Amino acid sequence: MINGKTTFLNEVASIPACDKINECVQCGVCSGSCTTAEHWEYPPRKIIAMVRAGMKDEVLNSNSIWYCVSCYLCTARCPRNIKPANIMHALEAIALKEGYKPPTKTTTMYRSFANSIEKNGRIYEFGFMLDYFFKTNPFAALKMLPLALSLLTHKRMPLLPKSVKGKDQLNKIFHNITTGGSR
Amino acid sequence: MEPKIGVYVCHCGSNIAGVVDVEKVAQFAGGLPGVVVSRDYKFMCSDPGQDLIKKDIKELGVNRVVVASCSPQMHEPTFRRAVQDGGLNPYYFEMANIREHCSWVTESPKEATEKARALVSAAVRRVYYHQPLENKEVPVHPDTLIVGGGIAGIQAALEIANAGRKVYLVEKEPSIGGHMMQLDKTFPTLDCSACILTPKMSLVGAHPMIELLTYSEIDNVSGYVGNFRIKIRKKARYVDTDKCNGCGTCMTKCPVKVDSEFDEKLSKRKAIYTPFAQAVPNVTVIDRAHCTYFLKGKCRACEKFCERNAINFQQEDEIVDIEVGNIILTTGYKLFDPSPIIEYGYGRLDNVITSLEFERLVNSAGPTSGHILLKNGKEPESIALIHCVGSRDEKYHEYCSRVCCMYAMKFAHLLKEHVHGAQVYEFYIDIRSFGKGYEEFYNRVQKEGTVFFRGRPGEITDVAQTPEEKGKLTVQFEDTLVGKKRRLPVDMVVLCSGIEPHDDAQDTAHKFNISCGKENFFTEKHPKLDPVATMTDGIFIAGCCQGPKDIPDTVAQASAAAARVLALISKGKVEIEADTAFIDEDKCSGCRVCNLLCPYNAISYYEKDKVSRINEALCKGCGTCVAGCPSGAITHRHFTNEQINAELEGILV
Repeated sequence: MINGKTTFLNEVASIPACDKINECVQCGVCSGSCTTAEHWEYPPRKIIAMVRAGMKDEVLNSNSIWYCVSCYLCTARCPRNIKPANIMHALEAIALKEGYKPPTKTTTMYRSFANSIEKNGRIYEFGFMLDYFFKTNPFAALKMLPLALSLLTHKRMPLLPKSVKGKDQLNKIFHNITTGGSR
Repeated sequence: MEPKIGVYVCHCGSNIAGVVDVEKVAQFAGGLPGVVVSRDYKFMCSDPGQDLIKKDIKELGVNRVVVASCSPQMHEPTFRRAVQDGGLNPYYFEMANIREHCSWVTESPKEATEKARALVSAAVRRVYYHQPLENKEVPVHPDTLIVGGGIAGIQAALEIANAGRKVYLVEKEPSIGGHMMQLDKTFPTLDCSACILTPKMSLVGAHPMIELLTYSEIDNVSGYVGNFRIKIRKKARYVDTDKCNGCGTCMTKCPVKVDSEFDEKLSKRKAIYTPFAQAVPNVTVIDRAHCTYFLKGKCRACEKFCERNAINFQQEDEIVDIEVGNIILTTGYKLFDPSPIIEYGYGRLDNVITSLEFERLVNSAGPTSGHILLKNGKEPESIALIHCVGSRDEKYHEYCSRVCCMYAMKFAHLLKEHVHGAQVYEFYIDIRSFGKGYEEFYNRVQKEGTVFFRGRPGEITDVAQTPEEKGKLTVQFEDTLVGKKRRLPVDMVVLCSGIEPHDDAQDTAHKFNISCGKENFFTEKHPKLDPVATMTDGIFIAGCCQGPKDIPDTVAQASAAAARVLALISKGKVEIEADTAFIDEDKCSGCRVCNLLCPYNAISYYEKDKVSRINEALCKGCGTCVAGCPSGAITHRHFTNEQINAELEGILV
């Protein structure tokens, strides 16, 4: 707290999965392990340093947090058990909640993915990709055609969705997620 | 003598008075039955504080004393002495711990004050029933046992032996020398490790006051300070130490080749061997697990060629019984094995080596005669040194191993010296160059052109992403001072592993009745003020068995432990606390339950009288037998039922 106001660091540290952010020794093993860090505006270690420095706008406007692909190598190798991947996802949630505009298409991808799951209870790849390309750039789908054909011929991508049993329970889960739900 | 109790409540600055209303507690104590005077004072442990007690004993006739202050661990001896100086038996004293047990752990002043009142009330009721006890004195045996023949054990042994006292130095390996013998140079002065160690080793070997027992282990320890009885197992060497003159003919004739432990498996030794050329004693030993005669029943080549008939295949383990007054444990450390860190590839990738392997590679007496070579026999052009391997990592060891930064920089210097034009990179998190001349050495290594990258590497891989990485080891890391993820191809990677306790550290601690901390290093009596003693009187620790440290600190600690031992020897006797247990022989049924329960083997059964008796010199006052006796025949002095019941009543009032 500074002058009665919650700092950005406190806001992040109060999220259960991010509670150890103060214990980071900035060794950089997360960035050194990260499978995508070369594309990040700031590598994961620096994001943690920037959160601690209170650089909220720079962190939440950067592409970094959206480029985390949840491989969890950083978390497996972190010597202080900081769980950097969880911090990246927590930062994504804060960015969306507070109306920051993500500089990547990641959110659209997340939404299409979630929609597909909500409808069928499992991923329906064909519908999921169509949804995603229609919302972003339909022409980009053309580039994927050879892959799509190959998947189709190898029966790796069914054209029709398959649904799971017990959709009512799934709906409850989604309801709880979107409304912040009660346990 | 009607008890007249004096109560003294300590403020301990603001440590107690900041939370507990000390005046109120003193006032309350004044009203308790038997209390004739009750005071509060800023620092009871100070001289004026102690004088208060002495004065009240003389002027008011106080004959029981309660001090409410810190833990008895801290100041019970101080106040007992004050009570004794005042003219009372020191056991007419009781301490109420209102700091560690109360003010430090209770936030609300009201609750803390209430708890302090309860603790003082308990102490007052208890002290009412205290009885005078006499401490006993036992003689101190002038001989000393030292376990572990590394630099710590060698140093301590020489200190004590040079003072004219006998030392038994026990080492489990065939030669003394320890890890220091494996090292090439030592930081920051670059003294040759073997050159400064071997003179000390031969002094030990030849010293008339040192009995060296190599290839030996401790089987059993019993007794107590001043009077320990030790069983040492001298493992069968299959070589007569009196006859062998270390000529080495047997080693040349032996047909079996085994990985050399001393050379970190980078070279071969024979099945009959000395670990290294300057071994002390310079006597060979047969490695039974690899010897052809022991495996297949024939060979005996060594025996045929030994001119002095020193080989004896019939030798058996020998048990040596000794008595000593003090023990110093200098059992040392083990290097962290980096194979569990799969991303660093140790054991999987060629040319990823540990620091001790590097020490042997760079040593002129090592497997490559001091040439730093890759697996393919070529010299490396670029080398990465990775700090904090297994240290400062919650998955392995949380602590900093203290020596790795410095030895990594020593490696950088040696690389520049041995390999012309070598590119050396250090990957560090923080540089810890805390010792005398260490920071200067850091600067020197920087000047020599070693590049320091701040960043713990994520992984080491042999999978090339660019043509430059082909056939090399690539270190993937973030240069945290630039803020960019990078890949750096090198020829060799040295993992600067940390120091860890031996796997059997807990067993050793149990054997000597001392304790291990969270990481299994032996626990000292006090981390600042008593770093070489342990909670068991007469047993001292020195070197890396107590925690990671460098050679200067190890030597200083070993000398300190030796000084402590010599002090006990020169005093010649030691006082033993009087709060021991005793058996009422009229009540004892001779069931012998207590004999089995006693962890110190202090109780024996006397067949003739059909009763058990306690050896008070061995009794530590743990109370196990008291609780175990089915006839209630055992009483613990200073912890009688009367005293404990009174204490309970006091706390519940």
